[in-house]
Order: sequence, then structure tokens, then C-alpha cells
Amino acid sequence: MDSRKKEGQMKTNDILEKKSTRRSFIKKLSIAAAAGSAGLVAGGCVSTGETTEEMGLKWEEYFKKNYRMMTDKEKDETVARLEKLAKLQDDVNIQMSNQEPREKVLFGYAFNISRCKGYMDCVEACVKENNLDRNSKTQYIRIFEMDSGQQDPTSGDGKYHHEVPVENKYYMGIQCFHCENAPCIKACPTKATWREPDGIVVVDYDWCIGCRYCMAACPFWGRRFNWGEPEVPKEELNTKQHYLGNRKRMKGVMEKCTFCVQRTRQGKLPACADACPTGSRVFGNLLDPNSEIRYVLKHKKVFRFKEELGTDPKFWYFMD
Amino acid sequence: MKKIFLRSGLLFLCFVPGTVLMSGVAVMASGGGVMDRIHHADEPFDTMEIDTAYQLPVKTVRAKESWKGGSFRVLARKDSITRYRCSVCHTDKKVLVKDAVLFTHGDIVINHGEGDNELACIQCHDEDDRDFLSDSSGKKIDFDHSYQLCGQCHFRQKRDWLGGAHGKRDAYWAGERVIRNCTTCHSPHSPAFKTKMPETYSLPLDQ
Repeated sequence: MDSRKKEGQMKTNDILEKKSTRRSFIKKLSIAAAAGSAGLVAGGCVSTGETTEEMGLKWEEYFKKNYRMMTDKEKDETVARLEKLAKLQDDVNIQMSNQEPREKVLFGYAFNISRCKGYMDCVEACVKENNLDRNSKTQYIRIFEMDSGQQDPTSGDGKYHHEVPVENKYYMGIQCFHCENAPCIKACPTKATWREPDGIVVVDYDWCIGCRYCMAACPFWGRRFNWGEPEVPKEELNTKQHYLGNRKRMKGVMEKCTFCVQRTRQGKLPACADACPTGSRVFGNLLDPNSEIRYVLKHKKVFRFKEELGTDPKFWYFMD
Repeated sequence: MKKIFLRSGLLFLCFVPGTVLMSGVAVMASGGGVMDRIHHADEPFDTMEIDTAYQLPVKTVRAKESWKGGSFRVLARKDSITRYRCSVCHTDKKVLVKDAVLFTHGDIVINHGEGDNELACIQCHDEDDRDFLSDSSGKKIDFDHSYQLCGQCHFRQKRDWLGGAHGKRDAYWAGERVIRNCTTCHSPHSPAFKTKMPETYSLPLDQ
């Protein structure tokens, strides 16, 4: 495909070829500097309460590469560092994975608009699973209460709070559609967001500069911005994390639905699909002719929202 | 020109609508995209390959139906029926009046079938052997395989359920297919979903 090829070219030309020797130089320098500043800490000059180990880890984290340029070893190292930092900074034991995409897997999603009752169990499960900011009430999923005869969510009510379902209304969930031809990826000036081989559009939070171009480019309101430091109560923190998924985000970076990469690459359903009490959410491997999602695409009447924009979403709506 | 748009992040911002439209046309013209990949993918994927998808500690039974030529499992039902086995009470012993409410299942409200078609107990429960259900032809059906009974009337739902468009898989998209039974989600006596308050709420979009 034309656009995908171009994207691939960009990847190889712009990222892989420019192996920055400057960066590796700075990295080495930084480790030396960290050792130096460690000496300062030991001397009692810094009062932030940071330990030598913590400072050293933070230095190394600061100079790491874009996730796509890391070798397997470097990926393992950064994951180990982040686990250690979580222990040192927040006193939590997290297990972070860097599970690679599985071969012959392309994730897809279908949403049954005649079954959804608007209970929002999915939204709640998503918030908990993905460690979303409780302070600003960030949610990846939005459920719209729609009037019959309407199909555009902007005509629906996205902030209802009353007994559901209401007669003569239907409910439509919107989240990241993981477009094959995603405009958000093209808009990113730092290549901090990309589509993985299994179709999941992910963000490297450490490379995001928070310009929000991707947010403007997404026609589906799929991206969320951290205006402040995300807050998650320690006892509610999901400690099973993935580097590209629900790990700790910082103030000023974008985040989005990752099809629960930390779950789905282990064969689990995404938290939303698992939590749905009505069975409106179908998830599976699009490349497997025996999967449920393929059954839906073949035997049901499906449509994709704003298909005419050509972003090629991997998220279908269907009816009974 | 197009190349320049794609290459320059800054320029891109000014031309977002234009670029989206252009790339859209490109997808449609080449007939490519995700649909093309799906149509060409006809080799079954071995979901057992993903070894992290293991069987849950919930009780399941092998379904007496086939799916894509293979077998699958459904969540068991009998374990969650508090008073199973029924034949413990359903004997020839007499029932005292003071126990009648409990013993006659006075707590069960049937809201299944409309108007004249409202169901009576023995339309689903076996009249003679209370440990079983029975279909309209009188064939005994195990409580764990109630889909065989429900599918008599709800054949459309059953067809969708077999394929995966109705009901849902349990916890894993990979591994052995384990799906919910009809009675996992629907109360057989009052199968419609209830109205209730949503679990949470969303803030207005412009906030």
C-alpha cells in the first residue's frame, strides 16, 4: 500500500540510518557525570532525598533511545530500570513487560450497537487497567447515548448519568480505532507514535514532546493529553505493565488506548471487552479466519465510523 | 508535493485535512488496506501457540456443538445453582405447609415470554427428572448445556453465539475457546437485562 510503504521508508531513512554517535557519546558522558553527582549526593549537598542509585537510573533513562531503535538488550535494560525506579520512587513492585508483537496477529475490534446498554463497565475497567489519571478523570473510552435515527456521536450525549438503557436510545462506544493508515502517526514530529506489526498504535511516552499534533489529526477523538502529573492511588495501581502500554506517564505527554497491549499480547482480552456484561465487544485476530472477529465481519452487517476519511480503522460497528 | 507534506511535521499541521483526504483516496484507489489483508488471510492461526493463554480456574464443560469444525468449551452452570441437585428435594416425600414458600420456589419470578406465551416451569424443566431440563420433543438436556434448550426458540441468537457475534469469550482471545453459557449472562427465569445506573460517568468533551 502506498502510504504504508512511505511510512516504512520514513522509518528506515529517518530513524534507523541516523545512528547517532553523538547520542552514544553523551550517554557515556552522562554516566560519568552521574558518577560524579553521586559523589555530591554522598557529600550531602542535595536535599531532595534521592539516592545515588535513583539518580544514576534517571540519568540512564534520560539518554535512552526511541523504543523502536533499541536492541532487545536495551529494551530489557530500560524495563528493568523502570521497575527499579518505581520501587525507589513510589515504593511499588511493578512487573513491566516488553513483549514483542506475535507473528501472524493483527488485532481488530467490533462493537455491537444493538447490544450495548450503556452500563459503562468498560470505561471503569479501562481506567483501572491502564492506570489512567483519576485527578482529571481521563478515560480512553467514551460511550455516547444516541437518538435512534442518528449515527454521528457528536449528536449523542457523551456525559449521561441516569438509569440505562433508556428506551428508544442506543449506545455507541468510541475509542482509538487503531487505524492502519493513521493520521496521528503522520502528524507526530518526533516519531514518538507508530503502528506496531500487530496493528496496535502505540506511544513512546519518553519521546513524546506533548505538541498534541496527533490529537488534532485524529478524527475520532482517540487521544488524551496529560495536562498534569497523572495521579493513581497506590492501592489501585495495576502493577502488570507494558513499556508501550499502561506504564507511568508524565505530565505533558500524550496517551491513548493501546488495545491493552499488556494483556492482549499475552492472549488476554482487553480490559473493556473482558468487563462488558452484555457481550457487545468482540476482539480478536483479524488474520485468523476462525476468530470471532472474522465471523462478525463475514456474517454481520458492519460499518466503520468515518470510513470515507480513508484512515482504515480496525474497529467495526455491527448490529444483531 | 505529497512527499514534502509527509516529511515535514510543521507543514503537515497546516494541511491536515488535505492530507487525510489525499491518503484516503490513495487507499481506496489501490484497493489495499486492512480489508485486503483480511481477505487474503485464510490460514487458521494456532491460538494454542500463545502459551500465556491458560485455562482459567473456572469450571467449564466441552460443548456438544462444533465450531469451525473443532470443539470449544462453555462455562459450567450446575456449580452455580445453589440448590442443585434438584432430586434431593423433588422426591415422593410430602412437603409441610410451613416450608411451602421455600420448597415451591416462591422466590422465582418468571418474566420470560410475552402475553399468552409466558413460560411455565415444565416447558423447560423436565417433568419427571428434575435434575434435567427437557426440550419440546421431550429430550433430556443437562443444565450445563442449556444452549441446546434456549436455541429452540432463540435460534438466531444461538447461531450468532456459536460464531462469536453474541455472548462472549471468557478472559482470553487466544488459547482454547471458552465462551459463556446462555445462563452465565441471562437469568433463565427473567432473561432481559435490567436497567441500572452506569458504573461511572464522563466529563463534558470541551473540558
